[in-house]
Amino acid sequence: MAVAPAITVLFWLSTATLMIGLARRARLWRAGQRAPVEWAGLLAVPKRYFVDLHHVVAREPYIANTHVAVAGGAVAAILLVALNYGLAIYSPILDVAIVLAALVMVAGVFFVWQRRRHPPKRLSRGAWDRLPYTLALFAVGLLVVIATPAQYLSAAIASVALFFLLAGSAELVLGIGFGAPMKHAVAGLLHLAFHPRPERFSGVRSTALKPLELEKMELGVDAPADFRWNQLLSFDACVQCGKCEQSCPAFAAGQPLNPKKLIQDLVCGLSGTSDANYAGRPYPGIAIGAHSGALDNPIVPQLIEPATLWSCTTCRACVEECPMLIEHVDAIVGMRRSLNLTRGEIPGTAPEILANLRETDTQGGYPKPARYNWSIDLDVPQAVPGKPFDVLLYAGEGAFDMRYQRTLRALVRILKAAKVDFAVLGGEERDTGDTARRLGDEATFQRLAKENISTFATLKFSRIVTADPHVLHSLRNEYPALGGHYVVVHHTALIAELMEQGRLSTATLTNGKPLTYHDPCYLGRYNGEFEAPRAVLRKLGATLREMERSGPRARCCGGGGGAPLTDIAGIQRIPDMRMADVREAGAEIVAVACPQCTAMLEGVAGSHAEVLDIAELVASALEVPA
Amino acid sequence: MAAYPNIFTPIKLNQLTLPNRIYSTAHAEVYADAGGMPGDRYIRYYEEKAKGGLGMAICGGSSPVSIDVPQGSWKPVNLTTDRVIEPMARLADTVHRHGMKIMIQATHMGRRSAYAGDPWPHLVSPSGVREPVHRGNAKEIEIEEIKRIIGDFAKAAKRVQTSGFDGIEISAAHQQLIDQFWSPRTNMRSDEWGGSLENRMRFGLEVLQAVRAAVGRDFCVGIRMCADEFHDDGLDHETLKDIAQAMSETGLIDFISVIGSGADTHNSLANCMPPMALPPEPFVHLAAGIKSVVKVPVLHAQGIRDVSQAERILANGLVDLVGMTRAHIADPHIMNKVREGREDQIRQCVGANYCIDRMYSGSDTLCVQNAATSREATMPHVISPTNGPMRRIVVVGGGPAGLEAARVSRSRGHDVVLFERNETVGGQINLAAKAPQREQMAGIVRWFDLETKRLGIDRRLGTEANAEMILAEKPDIVVLATGGRSHVHQVEAWGASEGLSVSSWDILAEKVQPAENVLVYDGISTHAGFGTADFLASRGSTVEIVTPDVKVGDDVGGTTFPIFYRRMYAQGIIPTPNFWLDRVYAEGNKKIAVLRNEYTDELEERAVDQVVIENGITPNTELYWSLKEMSINRGQIDINALYSNEAQPVLNEQTDGNRFVLFRVGDCVSMHNIHAAIYDSLRLCKDF
Repeated sequence: MAVAPAITVLFWLSTATLMIGLARRARLWRAGQRAPVEWAGLLAVPKRYFVDLHHVVAREPYIANTHVAVAGGAVAAILLVALNYGLAIYSPILDVAIVLAALVMVAGVFFVWQRRRHPPKRLSRGAWDRLPYTLALFAVGLLVVIATPAQYLSAAIASVALFFLLAGSAELVLGIGFGAPMKHAVAGLLHLAFHPRPERFSGVRSTALKPLELEKMELGVDAPADFRWNQLLSFDACVQCGKCEQSCPAFAAGQPLNPKKLIQDLVCGLSGTSDANYAGRPYPGIAIGAHSGALDNPIVPQLIEPATLWSCTTCRACVEECPMLIEHVDAIVGMRRSLNLTRGEIPGTAPEILANLRETDTQGGYPKPARYNWSIDLDVPQAVPGKPFDVLLYAGEGAFDMRYQRTLRALVRILKAAKVDFAVLGGEERDTGDTARRLGDEATFQRLAKENISTFATLKFSRIVTADPHVLHSLRNEYPALGGHYVVVHHTALIAELMEQGRLSTATLTNGKPLTYHDPCYLGRYNGEFEAPRAVLRKLGATLREMERSGPRARCCGGGGGAPLTDIAGIQRIPDMRMADVREAGAEIVAVACPQCTAMLEGVAGSHAEVLDIAELVASALEVPA
Repeated sequence: MAAYPNIFTPIKLNQLTLPNRIYSTAHAEVYADAGGMPGDRYIRYYEEKAKGGLGMAICGGSSPVSIDVPQGSWKPVNLTTDRVIEPMARLADTVHRHGMKIMIQATHMGRRSAYAGDPWPHLVSPSGVREPVHRGNAKEIEIEEIKRIIGDFAKAAKRVQTSGFDGIEISAAHQQLIDQFWSPRTNMRSDEWGGSLENRMRFGLEVLQAVRAAVGRDFCVGIRMCADEFHDDGLDHETLKDIAQAMSETGLIDFISVIGSGADTHNSLANCMPPMALPPEPFVHLAAGIKSVVKVPVLHAQGIRDVSQAERILANGLVDLVGMTRAHIADPHIMNKVREGREDQIRQCVGANYCIDRMYSGSDTLCVQNAATSREATMPHVISPTNGPMRRIVVVGGGPAGLEAARVSRSRGHDVVLFERNETVGGQINLAAKAPQREQMAGIVRWFDLETKRLGIDRRLGTEANAEMILAEKPDIVVLATGGRSHVHQVEAWGASEGLSVSSWDILAEKVQPAENVLVYDGISTHAGFGTADFLASRGSTVEIVTPDVKVGDDVGGTTFPIFYRRMYAQGIIPTPNFWLDRVYAEGNKKIAVLRNEYTDELEERAVDQVVIENGITPNTELYWSLKEMSINRGQIDINALYSNEAQPVLNEQTDGNRFVLFRVGDCVSMHNIHAAIYDSLRLCKDF
């Protein structure tokens, strides 16, 4: 029984070490900016962990089950040790429970070991590779120490076992203080408690960027300390599983972005280290070891190259995949804001587009009334104050593009066929500011938003319809923070509704060509609308051939976040990859629902599937010519 | 971003907003029903342009406002009676449904007619000067008549407005009554209607005042005027700028449509609808000149056949709207194709002027390359896939008839094999395009070439099909379009077999070198004989062209023969009409051509180095005879069904690889022209 007090000592020693480590780490997090803190979040951690987080992890059953065994076994064992040894109860019954927990953990560790023998490329190696061994030391040490009957527990065995336990415990408790792999357990749970978007845990698809308070000179993130403290905390939660890397279209295209590396770089910035110890795949084309950061040092370019930030399409595929619920896009846009607002360093044609927006309220530098040139012969009603109408059609920048005008013209035909009482803003419509915002020009976004909001205020309508998911996202999700609250529907949702109500009579698509649907990021991941477009296509009698990456996991077309404007070179183009997905699905038509997707996919060189907006498909099947 | 930013920029004319900057100008369609009423054919013709995305059409070229203008020859819209309001309203409603705006041209022709037709009037003109093109003998107009006609303009304008039209264009172009007053060539009056420019403008001005008073301020009213008559005694550009400025300053008009060239002689008329021999947009500088002095938008057509050309003209600010009239006769769906990024599929006008040349011979306007135009009730512009059985169709011959048969059949959804003996498609059009300044005929082939490729027709070029090869394809339908060959052997005494004479084909195809002194015998007076003579003269030969017809190039139409004649006189080609070629014999190293006068039977001889014969074609029928007996229908087309635009009854028969239906189209039946060959195929194959 001589080992029991040793375990007690070890337990309290470990707990103390952990707390010291946590305090040290917390000091780094607290260098960040203030953020509203809900202490109640701590109570919600179990639900957030077992439901919200596990929902993501469970997409890969192997590692989900493995993690349940390892973490579940470990946590159970530790809690039981805390009870039995921490409080010096020394109950043999509790010992049995500890043994069972340790056995579960051992089983889990076996699968961790298995996986680490042939790890997928997305996994980071380095320190993470020792985990099966150190965790095994902990579990085995604990087993031996507790399960071995006293008569067989020689001093030698006991010492070795205690050493195992000590070594294993060191892995568990030193992680947080030294930034080793096991920090994820502590930081991860705290991250769940103090998540920057707590509404995510109440079933809300939280995707709107938070406005900067420009008058308070909030100008984005220049140094790591400019992040909010809970963002810094969130970076520490990263387990380097590389799910983000695997889903990132820019990474796949060979552009210098890897969301996992980005988060790890921010961890380096947080802890004042270089990226030399990073053991995952690099940003394509950028060597590891040449960058380092510190809490108060500018991030760009010492820690992260600007091209990395400008490669992002803001598609949120990484966020969708992250089991630790980290918000990569918020971080990237935060850093872009600083580059834009304080340094004015923006690559490609983006500066020209932003200048156009500042001077003309359009991205292309057009006179505003030209936005509705395509509608003259369609006799589209113009919204006028004092004349209420039902639906405001908001065309967006796509209205200047001849290709996209076909979609808008088709949509107008549909609205007319369904006798929808609609009108357009005509020359009063400004850009929503979405592109400016993604490019970090928060000032232009806020100005445009405020002006649009005051234009809307002069009119009486019940909702807004748009064929542009970027417009949809701005108006629906981002205008409310600036005081604009509207019911905004995507045209596919409205069409689905009109079909449902029997207000649109359509025939079956005649050509019968195999068809697939490409989910726009800003409709799907940003707004959760996956079903309406598919419902419309089914109504048209189309047999959908889904691409492997579709729905919430759809691959971006490459057109979001101003990426076509910043135009960072890779080794291939994102839309080409997406078109290859289309080809792989055996589709001859790719149905789209976004002007950016239309332009990007139509821009693919060589012969490829026909790109048709859902509105065009519906209009072609309208039974009554409008 | 936008490929055509200027074309797709709307423009306002008075209260009217046009969606784009392309329109179709007023032209004499010759489609109106009896009494000058726009009927079904007329309405469908404009509806097709509306469906095709055109922003505006001005219809009714030279639609008269007064009853003393004979209307028989060009069947305009009769604006002299209230009866026209109802059918015009139907026309306006129809095109408005598709978002197109429509105006009509209104005019008094003055002397620009022939008196010899209903109502057998005494034509009026400021000074009674005869008009040569129409043989327009006229009297000197009296003031009472002037006042009556001004009133007629006002009443006609009110009818146009009542019918729901979007505007009216008053014609002061092509030497009609208003510009007969303007022009010193036709106005020698010394009263207040003649003499000074101010006096000469009085009539037009009072017409505009009366029209404006009738329709009010908000109705769109414009004028069409010439920007240079190209006659020494006529109106020059500077004077016409003064007139345009004066008209603009009145504030009575909302636009000025400008054309270059007068039109009261055969030669000046040929400029008005510039044929392919003229350079692109030959007169846009004149329109720009007018634009430089006026405050209202300037509209201009003439030789603008391509949207990128139109975009450039607009981008350069030369004019405000571009008329593409013949372009829309060739393809009424231009604007939709542009919007949809299908520019490659536009059937581009080549300026063959088959349309306008038919009009000047009193026939309805048709397109040399689009047989559906103005036949919208029966012939589709867009071929829709069949709901019937899928068939395997073999088309033999890649001339216009075969290309159209293949295109239409394939568009119906069938499997189509096209055999063509030569390495390129086009057939005789390729020869036609060899003649000087006729190169653009090749544009007809270019479109068919692109379309037959795009549609995925199995084209076997450089492959001369025989019966065995055709049967090996296991066809359900065989369409022979094997064309013809030069008919130089019609008269044995021409000596083609002995090499005493050569065919125009061999000259144009450059199989035979031109000799120094050449006699071209043209037995049929179409473009081919003249083109051959021109081809030879352009290469340095001394050429005489002989024809039994009334004049050389007699069958080429009113806007085309002047082009030939310009070249004939410029190159010293000797025209010898009214002579037959009896025979050719050799004497030393000379060929002696024996000519016989049609009217005196007198014989004449010419000693030349080369006799070239253009005598049309004789059909290639060998394949037909070898397949006829094997076919279900023995090669017969049911003409009752064909001429009533119905499907061939034999298509109901069961066909398979061994039982097939056989048809013939185009020249391999008998000599026809390009339009006829294409029409043959369209009307037959549209129901496959």
